Amino acid sequence: MSDSLDALERRIAELRAEVRRAVAARENALARSLRGDLRRAEQAWDAAVTAEAPPRQREPEIALVPIREQVHQALALLGVPTSAKLIVAVNDAFFSRELRGSQLTSLRRDEERSFRSDPYARPYYLCAALTDRLSPARGLLTDSTWPTELRVLGPLSPRVHFLTSAMRIAEHLTRLAEPPEGAMRLLSRMAQNIPGAVEGFAPADPVTAIRAAGAELEVHRAADAAQRAEVAARATSRLSDVERLFGVTAMNTLRGAC
Amino acid sequence: MNRLQERAFLNRLEELRGPVPPRPHDARAIAALAANPGCTRRSVMDAAGIDKDRTARHVGFPAPFGQSQFAITRGNGFEALVKENGCAELLRVLRELLGLPVSQVGYQDVESVGSHLRHSHTRALIDRAAREEDGAAVFYDHPLFSLEIAGHTSYLEPDVVAFQIGGRFHIVEIKSFGLVDGQAEPGKVAAAARQAAVYVLALRRLLADLGHDPERVSHDVVLICPENFANRPAGALIDVRKQLAVLNRQLARMTRVERLLADLPAGLTFDLAPDESGVPTRSAEELAEALRQVPARYAPDCLSTCDLCMFCRDEARVCGSTDMLGRQIRDQLGGVSRVSEALGLAEGTREPAEGQEEIAELLRLANRLREESLR
Repeated sequence: MSDSLDALERRIAELRAEVRRAVAARENALARSLRGDLRRAEQAWDAAVTAEAPPRQREPEIALVPIREQVHQALALLGVPTSAKLIVAVNDAFFSRELRGSQLTSLRRDEERSFRSDPYARPYYLCAALTDRLSPARGLLTDSTWPTELRVLGPLSPRVHFLTSAMRIAEHLTRLAEPPEGAMRLLSRMAQNIPGAVEGFAPADPVTAIRAAGAELEVHRAADAAQRAEVAARATSRLSDVERLFGVTAMNTLRGAC
Repeated sequence: MNRLQERAFLNRLEELRGPVPPRPHDARAIAALAANPGCTRRSVMDAAGIDKDRTARHVGFPAPFGQSQFAITRGNGFEALVKENGCAELLRVLRELLGLPVSQVGYQDVESVGSHLRHSHTRALIDRAAREEDGAAVFYDHPLFSLEIAGHTSYLEPDVVAFQIGGRFHIVEIKSFGLVDGQAEPGKVAAAARQAAVYVLALRRLLADLGHDPERVSHDVVLICPENFANRPAGALIDVRKQLAVLNRQLARMTRVERLLADLPAGLTFDLAPDESGVPTRSAEELAEALRQVPARYAPDCLSTCDLCMFCRDEARVCGSTDMLGRQIRDQLGGVSRVSEALGLAEGTREPAEGQEEIAELLRLANRLREESLR
């Protein structure tokens, strides 16, 4: 391969010298055809160089997916308000592995700015989860297309969300023919904190994890749903569109909270 | 104390401190108070809110500690791990440790209201939790308590407060030192217990203030540490009754600090007299002289808690005080305050004063044993 490159480089040097001579002798027709030869030689050289370079490790087209799309992908899998840390972990386990925690810091603010300047221009927005005081919850991201009940928090919601995410991750694992190792590790780590989901430090079995998480979820589901419905009703009746998506600032919460 | 006396007392403290704002106490500082209750120097300086670290540096005895950035990062990282996903790790530990029922998993982040409302929101949440009899276990994350210390309010931030079984509140303290084979370094555990005792006290005062039974705050605090050499959190219960008693006594003592002040020479001040850029202009000797006017009670334990430790140690060494041999030996040598005095008694070159006969007898015996074994 490198032999042919050397040959090509010699040929390019020769052609350049010939072009120079032709131009000096004002033989325009000859110069033009020589330039054509030179261009072809250079293209061949380019092709040879790229063929020789090692293939890129990651698929370039995945890196082109915008950050918000990648976050949305993770949120769609989990289906509950999620912290940036878990979004990055899920992305790392199942998807592009291109996401970094630091990239998510200003995401919610950018989305809010975009919504304020041009409401509903995008098919979805990444927005905040609302606390029982209707303020944005710290560090949680949600999808604007979800119903309000899903985007508000009661006291039991963090646990319900944790159990639901563990179930969704386990379900996704059962669908995959070859479960990625990182995803199995993520599930095992989560299953450690669910009673009956895993024995000691052994890798978790997705089916057992789903059953165990589901059993605990049954205990909390009704109470949590009632608490969230109450907050959601308040959010729907009191807040403007943008506040319903991104929460009200602390000073405004004084109006009607508690 | 009437109003006039109180004014005079606060004026005296301000005079001691000089024209700088008082330094707020954090839990660590309050806990350190309890570590050496007999030290007048520390009591006076803390009551006046003097920046002891700056004072120590100015007299040329900077404290050998301070928080390392790495330790802080490690501590924060571990705390985040314990609390992530709605305190999932903490729930597992408490279910194993205290048999927390599966249904009790509530979580409230007090910080969601914004920092300026945190204190009042903590009050409101704790009040509601104490009022409701169903005993729904709730973790209160980032609460903010206050504790009145010598006339000014200090704000304290415990890691987590857990409200749980039988309607009792438990303080959870998250520390990043390792719990290896069920054992942790005693010094660090003691420090954590003292710190947690401050939170227990603050929560008890809050409950009493709200008209609830303060005993609903458990004297057992939950200490969460990484287990063995992994990063997996494990928990242990620590009884902090002893630390609470010391702390109560010390805080009561601080409100009586005016009695200590009465013994101090008039015109004494620890003012560094900083110029406009904050550089102290007072001479170091003068400040050291002022410090020596207030008696200290040095013990080797001070080295891990007090900013002035190096100064006091130097002082104890220079005058050959028995304090520097540690608390146990000092107590055994009751009534003998100098090393030279103790040696004199042991060798019989010095006649025991009244009340020293017993200890003199012991010292002479010890000396004889030593002589015989060296022969």
